[in-house]
Amino acid sequence: MRLAGVRKSYGIGTPAETEVLHGIDLVLEQGTFSALIGPSGSGKSTLLNIIGLLDRPTSGALLITGRDTSTLEEAQLTRLRGRTIGFVFQYHYLLSAFTAMENIMMPILLERGRPDSSMRDTALALLQKVGLVQWKNNLATNMSGGQQQRVAIARALALNPSLILADEPTGNLDTQSANNVFELMRQVSAASGTTVLLVTHNLQLAKRCDRIIELVDGTIVSDRESPAA
Amino acid sequence: MNDLLPFEWIAAIRFLREGRLQSLFIISGVAIGVAVIVFMSALLAGMQANIFKRVLTSQPHITLERPKQAARPQRTGAPGQSVLATVQKPSQRMSSVDQWQKVRDEARRRPDVLAVSPTVAGPAFVIRGDASQAISLIGIDPEQYVKIVPLPDKIVRGTFRMTNTDMLVGTQLADDLGVQLGDKLRVATAAGGDLTLTIAGIFDMGSRGVNQRNVYVLLATAQNLLHLPGGVSSIDLIVPDPMQAETIAQSIANETGLDALSWIANNNQLFVALNAQTFSSEMIRVFVALSVAAGIASVLVVSVIQRSKEVGILRAMGGSRGQILRVFLIQGAVVGLLGSVIGSVLATGLMAAWRTVARNPDGTPMFALTVDPRLYAWAALIATLTGLLAAVTPAIRAARLEPVVAIRG
Repeated sequence: MRLAGVRKSYGIGTPAETEVLHGIDLVLEQGTFSALIGPSGSGKSTLLNIIGLLDRPTSGALLITGRDTSTLEEAQLTRLRGRTIGFVFQYHYLLSAFTAMENIMMPILLERGRPDSSMRDTALALLQKVGLVQWKNNLATNMSGGQQQRVAIARALALNPSLILADEPTGNLDTQSANNVFELMRQVSAASGTTVLLVTHNLQLAKRCDRIIELVDGTIVSDRESPAA
Repeated sequence: MNDLLPFEWIAAIRFLREGRLQSLFIISGVAIGVAVIVFMSALLAGMQANIFKRVLTSQPHITLERPKQAARPQRTGAPGQSVLATVQKPSQRMSSVDQWQKVRDEARRRPDVLAVSPTVAGPAFVIRGDASQAISLIGIDPEQYVKIVPLPDKIVRGTFRMTNTDMLVGTQLADDLGVQLGDKLRVATAAGGDLTLTIAGIFDMGSRGVNQRNVYVLLATAQNLLHLPGGVSSIDLIVPDPMQAETIAQSIANETGLDALSWIANNNQLFVALNAQTFSSEMIRVFVALSVAAGIASVLVVSVIQRSKEVGILRAMGGSRGQILRVFLIQGAVVGLLGSVIGSVLATGLMAAWRTVARNPDGTPMFALTVDPRLYAWAALIATLTGLLAAVTPAIRAARLEPVVAIRG
């Protein structure tokens, strides 16, 4: 995953036009576990949305597995996003009408169109991985915050994506649960070689990542190996 | 999750099931709308069929009569000359249809005519002691006439027996004159006819006027009394489809040169009233359907807003705009379909209730509700389509949601 000279402006053509990202160059190596930190309003979420193909840069290029994404159509982007990127948000956004297992199946279901037994097997294996097998038939709303976030992580892994983008996944959790969720992500990344980019305010957690990228006012001000790594 | 269903159906049904109260209310709304439409249609069809039946069983579909006698001036002007004349309309004398046997046979041969019956009708008096009453004397050929008006079914006392000394009178006339079965009555006409006949049967046609005025005798008896030997005053017809009567009447009129009066022309006001009734019920149906559609649309709009975050996450996970669009369209269609099924059951219940409540004083049903099974199929189809159409706007709204905006909300 490579960003080259990415700029993003909002309100283009209006007097209130503001540039949020000023030429970001960034390479995420496959299998690395990085933290993206920075004060509120520094452009972390905008950057994450661009990397996640949820938003397009105003200028500059985004290459995913060597492929330039700026020429892709909306529908192609959607498919690429589904297959290569998994999201974990601050709030879990599980579908409340579905059980834990069904939520995990959802990305595969969206891609294939119809449920089948292989999806169930995948979902069950992922539930095992996040330690929630006995909760598989619980509705998403009947679980604790930490459990829901673990389901959300399992869901992000469903299509075996090469990149997981996590936007403050531990922001709503108590220290104990936050620790569990973080450890789970590290484990998963190590086991499957998935690249993880974690946006966080929690410096303690950031320090436990391989690499810390600090964004201030739309510019990367520091990019270093974590002292712990 | 059912493996046979695609994602869109699974999500649509789960969303509807989760929004229990909302779904329940809107499905009830659709059901009530469909029930009103089905019940009203059945009621109206039943009522109109009943009116037609009542009107048609006591009169022929088409009556053929001799054309009205027209007066013409005795002197006509030579070219370039004009003649001043007052032309008075002649009074119509009693006279026979020309060559009525030929007309009757020709009418009988037509494939669009079911039965033909010649009649002689004219004014007369019945006299009993000091009392006398004006009547309409109708001479019939019993075998043919019963195919036009089921007189034997209308007899309430006595029998449908017609010899040349028998007569059938209405209940009202019998009451007025204080006569009963087997009594004899004198019948006199202005033409000088005078006969004494025996009351063989008393009928009830369901109309006081008819029961008081109509007196049925044999064709030959009426010819004799009205001084119309061998002639008939009109020829009555019935046709397979009463609604085609006017067209057939026109065609017969053109062929024979006779006046052909259809029951439609005779009951013009009735048709105007029935059409107005049909039109107003159509209007009610359209407005009920519109309010049902507005209800479905508003519930779905709210649902899209409530679920915008979930829609956003589905889009972020690789769900296409088309998939999201279909999830909401299916919800609209399912609401319409379920509502129409429940509505049809409700309507059937309403009809059963109507049948027990709406009865004549004698306990017979007021009229049969006409339920065309196709009505249910139509109701289901229209309600489903209405649901689908109502869902279009909310579904497009949902499909257009940008994942970033929806999730940040």
